[in-house]
Amino acid sequence: MPTETIGALAIIIGVIGRFWPVWIALAIVLTLSFTFRGRLGLYGQLFESGVGVAGVTICFFWLFTAMFAHVIAPFDPLTQVAVMKDAMPGTVVPDQGLVYYFGGDKLARDVFSRMIFGSRIVLIIAPAATAFALMVGTTLGLPAGYYGGKIDALLSFLANLVLAFPVILLFYLLVTPGIVETGLPHWIARVFFIVPIIFFGTLFFTRYKNRPQLLAVQMALIVILGGWVYLGLAFDADPLGIISIDPNQLNIFVAVVFASSPGVFRIVRGLTMDIKTRDYVAAAQTRGESPWYIMLWEILPNARGPLIVDACLRIGYTTILLGTLGYFGLGLAPESPDWGTAIKDASRLLRSFIHPALPPVVALMTFVLGLNLLADALREQSLKD
Amino acid sequence: MNERVTDPSQNPGTAPILEIENLSISFFTRKGEIPAVMDFSCTVMPGEAMGIVGESGCGKSTVSLGVMRDLSNIGRIVGGRIKFQGRDMGDMSDEELRQIRGNKIAMIYQEPMASLNPAMKVGQQLMEVPLIHDKVSKDEAYKRALEMVRAVRLPDPERMMRSFPHQLSGGQQQRIVIAMALLSKPALLLLDEPTTALDVTVEAGIVELVKGLGKQFGTSMLFVSHNLGLILETCDKITVMYSGEAVETGRIEDVFDRMRHPYTQGLFRSIPLPGADKNERPLVAIPGQLPLPHERPKGCNFGPRCHHFVEGVCNAAEIPMIEVEGHEGHFSRCVRFNEIDWAALPKGAEKKHEPVKPGAPVLKIDNLKKYYTVSGNEIFGGAEARVVKANESISFEARESETVAIVGESGCGKSTLAKVLLGLETASSGDVVLGNTPIQSTAIEKREVDTISSIQMVFQNPFDTLNPSHSIGSQIIRTLEKFGIGKTVADREKRMFELLDLVKLPRAFAVRKPRQLSGGQKQRIGVARAFAGAAKVVVADEPVSALDVSVQAAVTELLMEIQRKNKTTMLFISHDLSVVRYIADRVVVMYLGHIVEQGSTDQIFAPPYHPYTEALLSAIPIADTSVVKKHIVLEGDIPSAMNPPPGCPFQTRCRYKRLVPDNLCETKLPPLKDLGAGHRSLCWLDDAQLAAMEPVISFDRGVNVPVSDVVPTDEPHGEGAGTGPGFAGAPPQRPHGKTSDADAESEMERIERAPPPPHGSREITGNPGDSSPDKLQTEVGDGRQAVSGEVTPGLGKTRQSEVDGNEPNRS
Ligand SMILES: Nc1ncnc2c1ncn2[C@@H]1O[C@H](COP(=O)(O)OP(=O)(O)OP(=O)(O)O)[C@@H](O)[C@H]1O
Ligand code: SF4
Ligand code: SF4
Ligand SMILES: [Mg+2]
Repeated sequence: MPTETIGALAIIIGVIGRFWPVWIALAIVLTLSFTFRGRLGLYGQLFESGVGVAGVTICFFWLFTAMFAHVIAPFDPLTQVAVMKDAMPGTVVPDQGLVYYFGGDKLARDVFSRMIFGSRIVLIIAPAATAFALMVGTTLGLPAGYYGGKIDALLSFLANLVLAFPVILLFYLLVTPGIVETGLPHWIARVFFIVPIIFFGTLFFTRYKNRPQLLAVQMALIVILGGWVYLGLAFDADPLGIISIDPNQLNIFVAVVFASSPGVFRIVRGLTMDIKTRDYVAAAQTRGESPWYIMLWEILPNARGPLIVDACLRIGYTTILLGTLGYFGLGLAPESPDWGTAIKDASRLLRSFIHPALPPVVALMTFVLGLNLLADALREQSLKD
Repeated sequence: MNERVTDPSQNPGTAPILEIENLSISFFTRKGEIPAVMDFSCTVMPGEAMGIVGESGCGKSTVSLGVMRDLSNIGRIVGGRIKFQGRDMGDMSDEELRQIRGNKIAMIYQEPMASLNPAMKVGQQLMEVPLIHDKVSKDEAYKRALEMVRAVRLPDPERMMRSFPHQLSGGQQQRIVIAMALLSKPALLLLDEPTTALDVTVEAGIVELVKGLGKQFGTSMLFVSHNLGLILETCDKITVMYSGEAVETGRIEDVFDRMRHPYTQGLFRSIPLPGADKNERPLVAIPGQLPLPHERPKGCNFGPRCHHFVEGVCNAAEIPMIEVEGHEGHFSRCVRFNEIDWAALPKGAEKKHEPVKPGAPVLKIDNLKKYYTVSGNEIFGGAEARVVKANESISFEARESETVAIVGESGCGKSTLAKVLLGLETASSGDVVLGNTPIQSTAIEKREVDTISSIQMVFQNPFDTLNPSHSIGSQIIRTLEKFGIGKTVADREKRMFELLDLVKLPRAFAVRKPRQLSGGQKQRIGVARAFAGAAKVVVADEPVSALDVSVQAAVTELLMEIQRKNKTTMLFISHDLSVVRYIADRVVVMYLGHIVEQGSTDQIFAPPYHPYTEALLSAIPIADTSVVKKHIVLEGDIPSAMNPPPGCPFQTRCRYKRLVPDNLCETKLPPLKDLGAGHRSLCWLDDAQLAAMEPVISFDRGVNVPVSDVVPTDEPHGEGAGTGPGFAGAPPQRPHGKTSDADAESEMERIERAPPPPHGSREITGNPGDSSPDKLQTEVGDGRQAVSGEVTPGLGKTRQSEVDGNEPNRS
């Protein structure tokens, strides 16, 4: 057993030191944002309240952490240094002279490095899944709110069905091997991933119908780029072999999108019902615009305020969801450094060693807190105008 | 506690109830301090009503909230004092203030539901007031509440007491709020736009009620409104506010007829008073727009918009309120009022227009019906489907270059009609022919581009008419694109700039977002958009009602100018008969989905009237002290379109019903009676009864005063009685806001006894009654006249002229 440890103060200083790229990036971005806040619209207004600054800072902190993870983390998240099993925080690794700042877990991996790399997984999956959920929810919520009647009744019924289903059970179903083998998640993924292509296609088509050349270019771009990504993600058949997604992650992704789309659907539906009564929508109708143009270009841009706020909160929920999934050992690979899996691993030994559990817990908490602060500040700003 | 009841009556007219001295109020926001009210002073005596008038954002609500000391957490009184019954409110403890607020000062807001508890029965809410304030017994409280419900003239008071607020109509709710305020026997009542949310005929009832309160209860009032006509009808004194300051204050007679501030004069010149005429005497708009609170100019705030601005005089220093010599308690915040020729018109305002010659019919509507089916519940079926008859047999024509006004109160079906015309809804039956194309059953998606662009709409709410997310330019370009105008992007851009020129906006606005524009500017963009594709018919749905008074005139004139140039047919939807009289060539009056009367503007505004039109005419507040209105207040509210009364749609509120034999009004829909020359009325009244009707609006010449002296002459430098430079002639002789109550009663009797007509309805009409103004309307309200001082009022013309042709005789 290694015996050499450093004191609490040294740990703090060491950890702060490891984050140096984050501090530099934060300093630059925050200074620039603060200086030019007058010209940055809604984002700039965040810097007018303490809550906003705190939210932005925390979110950027984790964003930069994810970006510079390989620089910050002293160890590989999966490497095991046998002697460091359950090492206490601040234990120096023999031979290398590097420190396990937050100690080692039961498999002798560096808790600190795992937390840092865990941020990568969280910060990729959570925002991306939220983006997809937004698009799916929007694409269905707009017509439900705009047309009302039977379409609304049907879509709302489906959304309520999904919402009424216990989320965890849903996840269990979607990621259990039996179901995965039927290929169901893959099929769902194929449906979900096509939505953005349709979405952007309609978006540009409705607007530039009368300008065929421009439209042709846009359509070609959407089909080529979208098709390429689609093939890569949904069929794992990228002809160039660049884009692919780990099947486990795909399952998680699908599950998360599936679970949060109905929420977005309801918000968009409500906003649409409200906005469609405005005179500018009537003005668009009286000049003969198609319903989808009105939904996408007249209504959606004016729903963006509440949607942005909702997206922030939703990334937070998704992060917690990912944590929950990891905790139940669903989805991601068992050795994955994501925060949920880390908490689950550590919880088994919580009675003897508390230190491996704390860093991922704190990370998860701060990130979600940051997102909530951000959402609060955004909401406040949008109310002020 | 009851001291206020005795106080004012013991020394009437001596101690003021409310004294505001040099009050300044600021809001402290993240953009810094916003001075909302500056140096505001006024005094309200017992039993007196003070009107505060001004445009949106001028600080009038802030003054009333300041008196209530209810300025949210960011507002603060930064200077001056408010004394209530002689005591400085700033020195009072919180407890005392609370006492006063609930007890001696009561406030009535625009939105009645804001003051009512939706979960509590009206009676309980009313009883709470005496229960808490006067600690009386329950029975006593009930008695007082019931008495008050009667006093505010609600029908069936017992039932009212048992209802929940949502079961009452807007007008009834507002009456309950007033009753609640009065139960605490306040010494001062603050009313902030109490009728703005209500229909005109309902408003008339509330106004009458409020007017009686001063007399009945000795309550003083501070009446905040943007409507000069309402102030005239309710108040004794008036304070005009502009951009945070009081600019003129004085007795109603002085401010209305001998105003001494260019802004006040501008306001009067820009509202369509009887006598204004779109061809002969167009409105004179005040140029420019209100300055933002943090961009106020140095010196006179009105300087940038004032015709009499003099560099170095008006912008030298802050201007105090200056007393007008010879007028009682009349002050003006203008340094030059003694040098100004108050009768002169601003340069360039004297333009007259040739009356337009209407061409061939462009839009023909024949027996149009629109029914909506309202089903109970989509999924579970539930209640059986009900039919709402939004439009019932609508027939009229609109000719080229003509303006047809569609008048009616909320829910009468005017918006449904607009929707059918524009293709947002399809007709249930009947025909609409635009040019030669039948469009009644072609929904907008199925219409040809040509049809779409030839019938367009200007919307009501300027804050809603433009999409806040897109720039002005791109919204206009999009419209051009949809109308197939211009081949390339550059073409359309050019056309867009031309349209901006057309509506007199700088081209730089193309890149702006709607929120960077004022309401009037947004409405101009709305106009540009409607005329983008050479529209043949433009439906304007209350296009100026949401704009500030001083901007309304400019937008109205612009709309008419473009219409004149393009020979467009305009359907002007409105509830405001003053504007309609000014702008329209023909008028269609709607009630509960029916057209109840239609005819040329002159026909509509002169007797014989349809009973509903008569009531509407009587209900509009007119800001002219020389106008005497016949007093007709309708009972009750407009019935719901879900559940219309049988027989005549107006029978639930009609005061002529009893003159019609055999209960016809209640059982059979009246015929559309032809009164000659295209004038039609949906009513059972016979020719003799119609012929005996008197004009609702007439001009009071004063009794023993020679005609030329009716209005005090506005000659600051005239020789004669005046001594000081501010002397402005003898005080007015006329009581203001006159209504002739007895008139209405005796008229009814006369109509009842009216002899049968010898032949036809037009023949007997050559015999105008006493108040029928076939005299010239010389110099009515001289100081605020528009272009010419000698014009026959559009409403009071001899019947002979109607027979001769449709032009009133202009002499
Ligand atoms: N809560 C507030 N915070 C900041 N500024 C305010 C606030 N309330 C009012 N103001 C500003 O104070 C000024 C006067 O407002 P006020 O509401 O008294 O106008 P008003 O004459 O009653 O207008 P309206 O006819 O629209 O009711 C305006 O410039 C307004 O923007
Ligand atoms: S002070 Fe000058 S600018 Fe102001 S209202 Fe009088 S004349 Fe006009
Ligand atoms: S038909 Fe009868 S109820 Fe209807 S307006 Fe005429 S008099 Fe009144
Ligand atoms: Mg107000």
